[in-house]
Formats: sequence, structure tokens, C-alpha cells
Amino acid sequence: MPAPVPTDIIRFTNGYIALADGTAVKADLFVSPTLGKIVSGQETFFSARLQPARTIDLDGGLLAPGLIDVQINGAYGVDFSELDIAPGGEDVYLAGLDKVAERIVETGTTSFVPTIITQKEELYAKLLRLLSPRSSPNAAHSLGYHAEGPFLHPERRGAHNNALLLTASTMPPIEAFDKVYGAEGLDQPGVKMITAAPDVEGVMACVENLTSRGVTFSIGHSDADLEQAQQAVDRGARMITHLFNAMPPIHHRDPGVIGLLGDTTRRPYFGIIVDGLHSHPNTIRIAYGAAPDRCILVTDAQWIMDPNLADGVHHWRPGFAFRKEGLRVVIDGTNTLAGSAIPFAECVQNLSKWAGITLPQALVCATAHPAAMLGPHVAEHKGRLEEGFDADMCVFDWDGRVRSTWVMGKEVFRAADVCDGDILRPRNQVNGKA
Amino acid sequence: MRLTIRDTKEQVGSYIADYIVKRINDFVPREGHPNFVLGLPTGSSPLPVYKRLVEAHKAGKVSFKDVVSFNMDEYVGIARDHPESYHTFMFKNFFSLIDINPKNTNILDGEAEDLYAECHNYEAKIKAVGGIDLFLGGIGADGHIAFNEPGSSLQSRTRIKTLAYETIIDNARFFNNDLASVPRMALTVGVATVMDAKEVVLIVTGQNKALALSQMIEGSVNHMVTASALQTHKWALVVCDEDATSELRVKTVKYFKSIEKVQDEVEAKYGAMGKDKLGQGRITAA
Repeated sequence: MPAPVPTDIIRFTNGYIALADGTAVKADLFVSPTLGKIVSGQETFFSARLQPARTIDLDGGLLAPGLIDVQINGAYGVDFSELDIAPGGEDVYLAGLDKVAERIVETGTTSFVPTIITQKEELYAKLLRLLSPRSSPNAAHSLGYHAEGPFLHPERRGAHNNALLLTASTMPPIEAFDKVYGAEGLDQPGVKMITAAPDVEGVMACVENLTSRGVTFSIGHSDADLEQAQQAVDRGARMITHLFNAMPPIHHRDPGVIGLLGDTTRRPYFGIIVDGLHSHPNTIRIAYGAAPDRCILVTDAQWIMDPNLADGVHHWRPGFAFRKEGLRVVIDGTNTLAGSAIPFAECVQNLSKWAGITLPQALVCATAHPAAMLGPHVAEHKGRLEEGFDADMCVFDWDGRVRSTWVMGKEVFRAADVCDGDILRPRNQVNGKA
Repeated sequence: MRLTIRDTKEQVGSYIADYIVKRINDFVPREGHPNFVLGLPTGSSPLPVYKRLVEAHKAGKVSFKDVVSFNMDEYVGIARDHPESYHTFMFKNFFSLIDINPKNTNILDGEAEDLYAECHNYEAKIKAVGGIDLFLGGIGADGHIAFNEPGSSLQSRTRIKTLAYETIIDNARFFNNDLASVPRMALTVGVATVMDAKEVVLIVTGQNKALALSQMIEGSVNHMVTASALQTHKWALVVCDEDATSELRVKTVKYFKSIEKVQDEVEAKYGAMGKDKLGQGRITAA
């Protein structure tokens, strides 16, 4: 039985389609808002005998899969790690999650994995349950959870609270994981990503068990040497959390976790924060050059991420203020970075610039790569503009700025400087340039 | 038959596209024939024509809303959405880029349960819309038209056809150079189906079509060069590029070039009168 043929087809034309191999082709794309999927325009034409109900003119722009951020701690004043255990706290938490999902689409993001930094042990069970996959209308998808900690190396803890870090010193060690995250948390549906240090006692022994339960294991906040990192990959680790940050710097005789970049057989993905502050642009170029097919862009954004927020001092809560200077956000009165504040689309622009690659090549690192890293349950639906995939898309201009964002075939954001109507053209153009 | 020669294949495409645009815009619906009916080919030769037609449509010079189309042929044994199917070709290069009503497009269904019935119905459908006004076509290197390979009956109708071994080898490049996956069968309109069209326009471009062009124009009517049947068609136009004239005699080329020149003069002098006298709605010196 052939699938029912949708009748509400939207056709995207007069632009380029960003493909998963890093190229872009001049072609049309057809989506169905009722199915929320990318469909075959040809099949609708010849079977349902229908012309598209609506045509969107891309005005030469680049239609790409919506961006997938696998490491985001919060945004728009919402901190994913913060849960008030008093009654009503869970509703507040979910409302915050929905707020981010609704607004984050302006950065080109259509899927994200809310990331929680090391918490008090008793909070995990609640937090992870709240972070089941969640999709509300006109908003980005929340795919699951990314638990960064608590099994981190104290020497490489970064901003994590030393007092809350744990080791898996139970017998068997997996009991420590089951205890912290809750067996339900480890076995719930959706994305379950854990950043842990394989060099912390007991963690290495748990990698196989975790990955067999559908957990995506990422090496991070780790003091591991190369051999330990290799062993973790052999046991199923799929990623390195924010490469270069919270790990020993590379030494030519003892390359550590970063040394995995030079491994020909073990090829984990690596997340990287391309804001020019967490890593030098030249470092980005080295990392991308070493393993371009494994590079994953992450924002590591904190609650302060909000592209509409003006520079200056902002008060967060009593006795605590931060100073924003562009993408650099510090605790007021200090030089301590308060976290990343880069909108996702700018990471793509930066990677393109600094690694000397095309925009479609950079986009793959924020679309097909994160989807593939998370595994088939994501990669079979998201991260590529192919028939049958979710119609989560973003229209960019060739400088990498977001013109319009679509989730499940519905437009959820249009940039203020882009015309209304069905032509996605900047309002003020001079010689074809915005 | 008229032969119009242009310098390049792009110019050939533009010439033919402009010609078709004019035909569509001049068309007057009448009893039993409410739509302009266009026969369409696939392959690399017609691409410049489609490109130019799409441009004309985008520029608002022509609408295909009321045009009915019939394609020449389709493979048997590959899915409709196969990248090499003629359905895919037509959708990608033409139908998806214009405003034609999908209900008005007709392509033989190579996946039909009953292929005989499919062919029979196709002829009936052409009849039902009042016949084809303009059949656009190309020719193969062996002078075939549609999939009417050398040796096809010049009286043939829409039917199942075995592809010539030469065609299969030639097509292998589109199927990962795997001979086994190249379709061996196709559905195609017959030579007589093409000959029934009120007007036939052929695109012949490239050096590799030169011999076929000379055979179809300078040779005799012969089932080994099925396009030669057009010599007996009362309203056939061949548009070729300079490359394709390589095997023609200089005399032939000069003759047809002079026709074009005289045609211009006749048109300038007699205008509408010549049109009426010829009863073909146009002036011709052929």
C-alpha cells in the first residue's frame, strides 16, 4: 500500500539545497506541513496530479537542514540545570524549556539537546524525566538530555562544582550510574547523552553497559591520556565534549584525549565551540583539518545567550550581574567568562571563515554530523534534506545569516530584515547585496 | 521539410522554444480540440529547449496552464521515481518549473500491469484531445525517432519495443555502467503516431548526429532510419546546429539556408496573404 499522498505541498525554489556531503545544488525541495516531512514533489505531481499549494522563492539563498545543537545549557534567561523542587517547580522548568524552544529558532536551531551541568545527585532523576523528547508546535524539538557530569575529573572540572563530582567506586561500577541518573533516566526514550571522564574511577568499566542501553557516551572534562581515551572509544564512546576545553592541552609526545584526532581507526566525533573565545580560530582550523568528517559544532550556550540582548551590565539575580561585550560575557567586575553566548548560526559562519570552507561544508557540522553522532533514531529523521526526513529547515543567505526557519514544514521564524510573503528576499538590497 | 541551421545548440534551443511559445500563444481553442497539445521528448538534445521555455514562462511570455502534453516514451522495468526514468527527467527539467496542470501531462507508464492496454489507451487519449498539434523530437545517432529503432515499421503505433543493443550499451553510462541494470524494453509512440501530429519539430545537435541527419534528409525514406519518414510529412521542421551539418552536402545546406532567406522575403512581402493561401496558418517556402 503506498503512503497517503499529501495535498498541501510547499515547494522551495530558486535557491540551493545544502547536501550532507557539503555541496549545494540548485534544486527544488518539496515538503508537506501535514506530514511534517520532506516529500517527493515528483510523486505528488504524477500520483496526486497536484501542483504545489504554495511556492517559496528562496531568492538565491541556501536551504539547509535545521541546526542540531547537542550541547546547550540554556538561553534567554533560562538555565536547564536549574529546577526548583518546590511544588510547581516542574511546570516552571518546562515552561522555561518551551520558551527556549520557541525562541531558539531565530538562531537556525530546530533541534537541541538540553545540557545539564553537574548537579546534586538527587536532582538528576527529576531533571532527566523532565527532559524526555518534547516538541511543541512552532518551536524547536528538545531531543532528550545531555548530562555533563557528575563523573568528571576534578582537575578538569572547569566551572563544575568540585563538591558535587562523583566517582563510580561502587561494585559493580554501573550501580553508581544507575543510582545517580536513575535506571529510568538511563533507559528512557530519546537522546540520552552523558559526558564523563573515562579516567575517573569505575567510569571506563561502564561505557559498554551505557552504550548498549542507548546512551551516547562522550569523553569530556577528562585528564585521560591517549591510551585511556582510545580504550573508551573502543568500548563505545562516540564523541569528545568541547574538544580542547576541560582536557589536557595537546603535547606532541603525549597527545591525550586530543590525540584521538590523529587516530586512523578510532574516529569519534568531537564537539567544538567556535566563538573565538573558547578556542583560537587557528586551533579550530587544525581540528577541522584533522577530522573534517567528525567535527560537530556546539554552542555550549548558557542562559545569557540571547542575540537580542544589548551590550552592557545585566542583572541576573540579587547580588549577581554580568557584563556583555558582544559574545564575551563575564561576571561583572571580573574577567571570568560566564559562559558561551554565541547564537548557533554564528558558529557556522565562524567555522566557514576560520577553517576556510564553504558554508554548506560548515553546515554539515551542525546538521548531518550531530544527527549521525546521536545514532540512527535521530539520523534517520533529521540532519539531511532527503525524502521522508522531518521538514526541519533553515534558509540562510550566503553569509550564513538566518533568513527563515521551518519546523515540521511550518515557518516558525523569519528575520526582521526579510520581506513578508513568499519571496525570502532582504528588504533593502543594493546591487543584490543586503 | 524545412531545415533551419543555427550556430550552436543553445541557439537551436532558443529558436525552437520561441517557435513553440508562438504556437501556444497563437492557438485558438475549437470544438473537440480545446487545448494546445504538445508532444515531448527526453534526452540531452531538448534540454536547451526546455531551459528556454522555462525562462519564457518565468518572464511571463507563455503559460502552460492549458497545454496538454504527451511524452514519446518511457522505460519498462524501472520505477517511475528512478533517477533515469523519463518521468523524473520531465519533472526535473520541465514540469516542476512551469505552470502546467499535472492532470494534463501524459507519460507512458512503464510499470503498468497491462502494457498492451497502456499503449492502446495512450493512442486513444491522443485522439480524445483532438490529436497532437506539435510533436517535438530528437533523433538517435542511428536516425531513430522516439524508441523506434532501425527496422521499426514506419506505420507503427504506440507499443512495447525492444531496445537495440547499441542503445542499451549507450545507456549503460546512466546506470552505473552496469549492462544488466539497463532496461531492455520501453514503451514508445510509433512512427505513425508522430506522423499524425499536425506539425513535427526535430532538434538535431552535435557532430555525433551528423550522419543520421544526412541519412534522414538526403537518403531515401527507409525503416533503418525511422526519422526519414518525416520526408513525407507535410509540415516538418528540423532545426540543427552547425556541428550536425558536417555530413550534409554543401548543396543541401545552401539550399535550406536559401529557403530561410526567401521565407523572410515572402513574409515581408505578402504577410497574412501567404498564410491564408497555404491554409496552414503560417507562411512557408518549403
